[in-house]
Amino acid sequence: MVSVINTVDTSHEDMIHDAQMDYYGTRLATCSSDRSVKIFDVRNGGQILIADLRGHEGPVWQVAWAHPMYGNILASCSYDRKVIIWKEENGTWEKTHEHTGHDSSVNSVCWAPHDYGLILACGSSDGAISLLTYTGEGQWEVKKINNAHTIGCNAVSWAPAVVPGSLIDQPSGQKPNYIKKFASGGCDNLIKLWKEEEDGQWKEEQKLEAHSDWVRDVAWAPSIGLPTSTIASCSQDGRVFIWTCDDTSGNTWSPKLLHKFNDVVWHVSWSITANILAVSGGDNKVTLWKESVDGQWVCISDVNKGQGSVSASVTEGQQNE
Amino acid sequence: MEELDGEPTVTLIPGVNSKKKQMCFDWGPGEMLVCETSFNKKESETKPGCPFIYIIRKDIDVYSQILRKLFNESHGIFVGLQRIEEELTGKSRKAQLVRVSKNYRSVIRACMEEMHQVAIAAKDPAIGRQFSSQVSILSAMELIWNLCEILFIEVAPAGALLLHLLDWVRLHVCEVDSLLADVLGSENPSKHDSFWKLVTILVLQGRLDEARQMLSKEADASPSSAGMCRILGDLMRTMPVLSPGNTQTLTELELKWQHWHEECERHLQDSTFASSPHLESLCKIMLGDEAALLEQKELLNNWYHFLVTRLLYSHPTVKPIDLHLYAQSSLDLFLGGESSPEPLDNILLAAFEFDIHQVIKECSIALSNWWFVAHLTDLLDHCKLLQSHNLYFGSNMREFLLLEYASGLFAHHSLWQLGVDYFDYCPELGRVSLELHIERIPLSTEQKALKVLRICEQRQMTEQVRSICKILAMNAVRNNRLGSALSWSIRAKDAAFATLVSDRFLKDYCERGSFSDLDLIDNLGPAMMLSDRLTFLGKYREFHRFYGEKRLTDAASLLLSLMTSQIAPRSFWVILLIDALPLLEEKEVVFSAEQTYELMRCLEDFASRRPVWREPGVQRIQEDVENTKLEMLRLALARNLGRAIIKEGSLEGS
Repeated sequence: MVSVINTVDTSHEDMIHDAQMDYYGTRLATCSSDRSVKIFDVRNGGQILIADLRGHEGPVWQVAWAHPMYGNILASCSYDRKVIIWKEENGTWEKTHEHTGHDSSVNSVCWAPHDYGLILACGSSDGAISLLTYTGEGQWEVKKINNAHTIGCNAVSWAPAVVPGSLIDQPSGQKPNYIKKFASGGCDNLIKLWKEEEDGQWKEEQKLEAHSDWVRDVAWAPSIGLPTSTIASCSQDGRVFIWTCDDTSGNTWSPKLLHKFNDVVWHVSWSITANILAVSGGDNKVTLWKESVDGQWVCISDVNKGQGSVSASVTEGQQNE
Repeated sequence: MEELDGEPTVTLIPGVNSKKKQMCFDWGPGEMLVCETSFNKKESETKPGCPFIYIIRKDIDVYSQILRKLFNESHGIFVGLQRIEEELTGKSRKAQLVRVSKNYRSVIRACMEEMHQVAIAAKDPAIGRQFSSQVSILSAMELIWNLCEILFIEVAPAGALLLHLLDWVRLHVCEVDSLLADVLGSENPSKHDSFWKLVTILVLQGRLDEARQMLSKEADASPSSAGMCRILGDLMRTMPVLSPGNTQTLTELELKWQHWHEECERHLQDSTFASSPHLESLCKIMLGDEAALLEQKELLNNWYHFLVTRLLYSHPTVKPIDLHLYAQSSLDLFLGGESSPEPLDNILLAAFEFDIHQVIKECSIALSNWWFVAHLTDLLDHCKLLQSHNLYFGSNMREFLLLEYASGLFAHHSLWQLGVDYFDYCPELGRVSLELHIERIPLSTEQKALKVLRICEQRQMTEQVRSICKILAMNAVRNNRLGSALSWSIRAKDAAFATLVSDRFLKDYCERGSFSDLDLIDNLGPAMMLSDRLTFLGKYREFHRFYGEKRLTDAASLLLSLMTSQIAPRSFWVILLIDALPLLEEKEVVFSAEQTYELMRCLEDFASRRPVWREPGVQRIQEDVENTKLEMLRLALARNLGRAIIKEGSLEGS
């Protein structure tokens, strides 16, 4: 049974574009066309406004929480071409860094797995992707991938951290050699996979082609210990694809069509144990999908916006025979 | 895309119903956020949208106070069952599994009882209704479980099967006993309004001894019907039943029963009871007459009661495999085309058809959380029932349900601990699910953090330990609790962080002249080796201790080795050098000549490469003070050299 357990009144004066829970589900960050980023404490069904962050000069499109081991850090990106990183110091939230390296709206920000350090990927309408790495003492190093996607990049999503090769514990003090990868989706209808080379440069590793219109969102599924990688992508063409790659037998990605919707699909997102995919469509619904035992994807629930009270009965589909 | 059996249900989120807006969403660790938005960024909206963000969740039952007891106690039964699995062998296996099943059921009943009390006591009628509906859900669960126990776990054979089913029905129709007490307690039982109702119910439930007693009261009260009551009473007494200790075979029973049935039939034909409609109707019931039974619909209350009564009086030796035929027809007859079966009816039917998968599936759909199906499926798996049905799917279903249930528990601030054990007993995906969930538990207190860490360490989840310790260590550093930060980074075996914290300690020492958290540093032990900086910190403290204990030669050697080894940070050299001063000024010669030469080398080395790390302004004064001290050091070293040479030179002489 799905129920509304809390309603947070953000008091944003304009359209909300993104809302994200922090790692523990205790805080909520929201951003809006009213140019502000707000942070709420939502423990125990309450809502307390912790911060109202101003600094952007245009609608703010996305927010992203960094891993708690780095402290309380939030990144936001906006139409004003800026990416701002906010940090909580001594109980107050302040701007800790501003990145202005893009020529056009920055559409998406995504933090890398904490094992890699504090690294933020940003995708912009100028077609470039920039990677900000925290190097210490308030300094951020920038690497830019120009022309990652022609016309523009709409989404970035990191692959989960997997230690390659042997699984023996590395001697203390030595960092394991992670292969850092992320996926991006763009207006060239493509999904691209990027890999960091040994010299620190980012190279395009793969192109995934299946969509016939702008790719609006990509989401790399969390790892559940199986030797397969999974990416979900959605597009202006109304299709949602699930891409899978068998890590042991090489680098080929095969797409499976989840569903063809009647309208643009804007957003896809995996639950933390990667067993449910949520898809937001232009038809005012959020649908939840699960993979059944024989590899087919099944819609298990519809979350619909509408008037009236919350309906109480829900069908939970489980793995079918 | 595969088809589901039912349409996925739509959950409506209250909000402005606009045709142009969409819903934006994200996952939290245990919930979802949704809010209204417009994804099409090109449209500039001047009107404000809906400013609400909705947090939605499944499985809110975890928050119910009373259900918590259910979760806690069933957890104990679950873990116990997993543990005794190896010991379950041979004949006693079935008995033990039945016992486990009864344990689960008693937990459900206890919960039901408590909730019932709360429902009655509730001042707000709406809340009272809410609790009452919960009670009926629990009651339904217990009903289903009980039937599954009889059919799947007890695996009652023909004969015993009916007795179990009778018990089952009697257990779930409660008013009989209170009605019995009512009537017996009255002045004139046989004149009580509900007298015949009571007798009928007793007969419907196969409680013939009690029915006979009632009839004797009627016989006493109205002599005109005494004869008929006696005859009917005799029939009741002589009905052949299979009693638990009985050694007669099924065939023998059937024969006897057939005879008895014929005798009843004869009485009916002879119109023995014609003058008493009540008695005649009772006789018909005992003959299993469907029409007569259906007349008692209200007393029977549901089709499965009808089914069992029907079986009792027409097919008492029914075989398990034939059950479903009677079940289906009983349902159809009872509903009589007036209403359609409810979810509960379908579940019970599936059970009578021995279709375990169907039972589990329907229960999953009908119930609001995974508790019931997870535990029942696990138990049935132990009975080796799932495997025989569909090998490929069998064990996966158990694990799937347990994983869903356990994930739901993690949403709760203390029930998550129960979830850990469930994950432990899921061999395929349990561990990785636990890893993903356990990192998301908010570490609101140190106690909680320690609890989480202990769980991770017990399971060798080193990544999670590292990550959690790192978070705690960083938190401690930000709050200036350096000792805490250090111990967390040691626990995480995080060398880089240990170095960072050690540097902070040393910086503090430079500024304040003393160490905080001495206890911790003094008792580092082998952990000191984690990082060079940490080793230096530990050794430097040791130097202080030696000096305090007047072990001057030890202190001197240690100090020297600290300087000559590479582990002292440059910024600390001046302090080390200055620390040598008091040792040099001791009455006895502490540093040997060799050591003095070393010290001089270090001094000159340092002086030539002085690091500039202090802020300007303070620099001048600090430098002056330093220079003075270094001059004093040079002097002291020279003097010491002299004394040392003399001492060593004359050692052989004296």
